[in-house]
Amino acid sequence: MREHIVTREMIANPKTKYGNAKASTRHFLLQRLSGVSNIVFTLFLVFIVVRLAGEDRADVVGLIGNPLVGIPFAILFAIVCFHMRIGMNEVIEDYIAEERTNRLTMALNAFFALAVGLVGVVSILKIVFWG
Amino acid sequence: MSARPRPTSPHLSIYRFTITMAMSIVHRATGIANYAGTVLLAAWLVAAAWGEEPLGVVNAIYGSWFGLLVLFGYTWSLFHHMLGGIRHFVWDFGYGFEPGRREGLAWTNLIASVVLTLLVWTLFVWMA
Repeated sequence: MREHIVTREMIANPKTKYGNAKASTRHFLLQRLSGVSNIVFTLFLVFIVVRLAGEDRADVVGLIGNPLVGIPFAILFAIVCFHMRIGMNEVIEDYIAEERTNRLTMALNAFFALAVGLVGVVSILKIVFWG
Repeated sequence: MSARPRPTSPHLSIYRFTITMAMSIVHRATGIANYAGTVLLAAWLVAAAWGEEPLGVVNAIYGSWFGLLVLFGYTWSLFHHMLGGIRHFVWDFGYGFEPGRREGLAWTNLIASVVLTLLVWTLFVWMA
């Protein structure tokens, strides 16, 4: 998390320090590591959707309810939500300079990623463990 | 003592159009689209976990012409962002910066995303 909003003036002024070196490096690395995982996720998603598109519940439970499919899918989906939080943070950093709006959208972004991730993961685990 | 200001870069309007620039913008746009698209996936999963009836409702919405249009766009967006990510991995490892190469990578990104999307939809939707 950065402490200040970076403005054009801050960048131009050689006496300022801006950005957050540690978090930025961490985000850079984690975004790429989760990106690798997301390649697996995308292929997995295509496989699942192709098999299940429009099918009724028994087929969905039959495929996602298999722990060998459901558990990896839940983990990959959680990593996707992590990846999209960092990505959207970057977009917010670039376009929303006003400090309060910046903080608010950052918080909403974290909430969105967490909410979507939880809903998805809990739904998958429910199908795996309780059908 | 007053220090010389750091140089800052100008914004989009000053640059001529290049394919690498366009694919960079599209990479961000598809990232944002995928961000929204995960709601569709989460909605489908929660409906499937919930029961027969909610899943039927979601299937009906996603199977409508508008639903299919959105899913088609979502497929392309996912593939484009995935291939764009791979393009960035290539660049991260220091390859593909030469003139011609970088444009080739950007064009490949665009064309392959369209081909992959059409392939998946032809094989598994239109012919299935």
